[in-house]
Amino acid sequence: MNDAEEPRPATEVRHVPREHDGHRSGRLARRPALPEEVPGPFRRSFWRSPIRGPWLTSVLGLVLLAGIVVLFVTGLLSYAAYNPDLSGINDQTPGKGWFGFYLFSWPTHPEWLYRVNQGTHVIVGLALVPFLLAKLWSVLPRLFEWPPVRNPAHALERLSLFLLVGGGVFEFATGIINIQQWYVFPGSFYTLHFYGAWVFVAAFVVHACLKAPTVIRALRSRGLIRELRTDTAHTRPEAVSAGSLVSPSPAAPTISRRGALAFAGAGSLLLVALSIGQSIGGPLRRTALLAPHGQDTGSGPGDFQINVTAAEGGITAARTGAGWRLTLSGPYPGTPVTLTRAELLAMPQHTAALSINCVEGWSSGDQTWTGVRLSDLARLAGVQHPASLLVESLQHRGGFRRAVLSAGQVLDPDSLLALRVNGADLSLDHGYPARVIVPASPGVHNTKWVATLTFGS
Amino acid sequence: MRRLMRWYGANPLHLLALLGCFALAGYAAALLVPSRPLGVAVWFGGAVVGHDLLLVPLYWLADRSAMAAIGHRAPPLPAIGWINYLRVPAGLSALLLLVWFPLILRLHTHYQASTTLSPDPFLWHWLAVTGALFLLSAAAFAIRLRSARRAVTPPAPPAGTPRPTPPRHDHDHDHDHDHDVSDDRT
Repeated sequence: MNDAEEPRPATEVRHVPREHDGHRSGRLARRPALPEEVPGPFRRSFWRSPIRGPWLTSVLGLVLLAGIVVLFVTGLLSYAAYNPDLSGINDQTPGKGWFGFYLFSWPTHPEWLYRVNQGTHVIVGLALVPFLLAKLWSVLPRLFEWPPVRNPAHALERLSLFLLVGGGVFEFATGIINIQQWYVFPGSFYTLHFYGAWVFVAAFVVHACLKAPTVIRALRSRGLIRELRTDTAHTRPEAVSAGSLVSPSPAAPTISRRGALAFAGAGSLLLVALSIGQSIGGPLRRTALLAPHGQDTGSGPGDFQINVTAAEGGITAARTGAGWRLTLSGPYPGTPVTLTRAELLAMPQHTAALSINCVEGWSSGDQTWTGVRLSDLARLAGVQHPASLLVESLQHRGGFRRAVLSAGQVLDPDSLLALRVNGADLSLDHGYPARVIVPASPGVHNTKWVATLTFGS
Repeated sequence: MRRLMRWYGANPLHLLALLGCFALAGYAAALLVPSRPLGVAVWFGGAVVGHDLLLVPLYWLADRSAMAAIGHRAPPLPAIGWINYLRVPAGLSALLLLVWFPLILRLHTHYQASTTLSPDPFLWHWLAVTGALFLLSAAAFAIRLRSARRAVTPPAPPAGTPRPTPPRHDHDHDHDHDHDVSDDRT
C-alpha cells in the first residue's frame, strides 16, 4: 500500500506550494506555508500515496473502533472471571484502585462463557492487527507534522496521540507475545496488559470523540458502495482541501481504496483462519496452523492440551504416589480431614463434560471428568454454606498454585475435584492424583495436583 | 476567556476532553509504572516508533525495490498491474511472520516446556502458507494475463502498473524517474 512515496526529484518540489496555495485558506491559514523549506518527510509533498486521505483513514478507524470496543469489554470480563475481589490470591493486579469498580461474582453458567469470551478476545485482537497497521500507515504523515507544535491544543493532542499509538501497539504486542509464551516484557503480563489497557482506552476515547466530526465529514464525502466499486484505474486522490493527509502531489495509483481495504481484510481472514481452530477444538484444531495450540495431541484419554507440565510445577511421582493425602480444612472442630485417593474414589462420583479454557484464547474442548463434587467435600469438612474455597496445589513453582473459588463456583453441581478424565485416571501432567474443574472459570483456576482444600464460611 | 481560547487553539471542550484523558491515563500509569519504570517507558516508546520508523521504511524499501527491479527487467506484458500480485502474498506472509515470529523463529520461549508440544512445525507451516499464497497469486495473475492477451490491448508500459488517465500532468516525467532509480541500482 505504500505505493508511491518516493521523494520527488528536487526540480519538481518547487512546484508544490504553488499547486495547493489556493487551498490554504480558513483554518489552515495559520500554518506557515513553507513546505519546501522543511526537511524530507516533514514536507507534505514527500508523501505521495494517492489513496491516503481522511476517507480511508476514517473507514479503517471505524473498523478499529468496533474491534477495540469488543477487545475492551472482553478484556474487562476476563479480569472479572478471576474473581479478584474475592481474595488477594486471585488478583494479579492488587493495586488496581478504582479500576475494579465493575467487578462482580463470575457465574458458572453458561458453561461456554469464559471460552467464548477469551476466544473472542484473542481472535478479534489478531484480526485487528492488519487494520491497526493499515491505520498507522494511513496517518503516517502526521508523525512528521511541521511545525511540530502549533499551539497548546495541538501539543496536548499530540501528547494524547503518543499514548494512543504507544498504548495501542503496546497492548497488541504484549497480548500477541504472551500467547506465544515469550516472556520478554518488563514485568507480569497481567500488570502490563491491564494498566496498559486503561492508558490506551483513555487516549482512545478522547481520540474517537475529537475525530468524530472529521470521520462523519470524510465518510459523507465519498459513498462507501461507490468507493468499493472503484478499481485502481478509476481511483482518484481526495481533494487537497480535505485535510493534511492528502498528498499535494499524488503519484499514479497502484491500488484502489477497495484494494487496500481488501488487503487488510484478507490479512484478518488469514490470521483468523489459521488460528481459530485452537479455540474451537475437535477436528478443526488441526486447521490452526499458526496458533500455539493447534497441534493434535492424539486420541488417548489424556491427549488434550496443557499449559503447565508436572516437571514445571516441581511435581514428582514420589509426591503424588501412595503417600499423597487430600487435606480438607474448615472452621469447625473435626477438621482438618485427610483423605486418600482410594477414599475419594469411594465417595459418590459425578461426571461432567467441561473444557479447560485459557486466558490465551485456546480451549481443550469438552472432556469428560469424573470425581467428587466440591459441595460434597464442603459438607465433609462440616461446612454447609461455604463462602469460598481456597485450593492449594502441591506445586512449588508457578503463579497459580493457589486459587480461591466463590460460593457459586463451589456449589455448582458440575464443580468437581476430578480424579479421572475420559474414563482413565488423570495423567501426571493433567493433575494426578486430583484436580479441580469448575465450569466457565479461567483455565488457571482449575488447579492441578491439589493438596489442600480450605472452606471458608 | 475568548483570548485564552485563541491562545490555546481550540474550544474549551477540547481542553476538557484531553485533561480527562490525561487524568485517567496518568492514574493508570501511576499504578503501572512503579514496577519497572524504565522497561515500561522503553516498551511504550518502542511501540510508538516501532511501526512508523522501523516497519514502514522496510516495506517502503521492499516495494520500491520490487517496482524498480522487476519493472525494469520484466518482458513486455499486457497492460495489467502486476505489483499487487507480488504485494499481496508478500504482505500477507510478512503479516503472519510479524504476529507469530517468536514461534516461527523458535525464539527462547516457554512453549515446549509448558505445553509439551513441538516448536518445530511453525516454521514449516509459515513457509507452506507463504508458498501457497504465492502460488495462488501466480495462478490468478496467469489467468488475468491470459484474458488480457486474448483481448486486444495496446502494448504495455514498461513499469509495473497500468497508468491510465493519470491524475497528474507530469506523468511522463515521473515515469522516467522510475527508470532512473532502477538504473542506479543495476
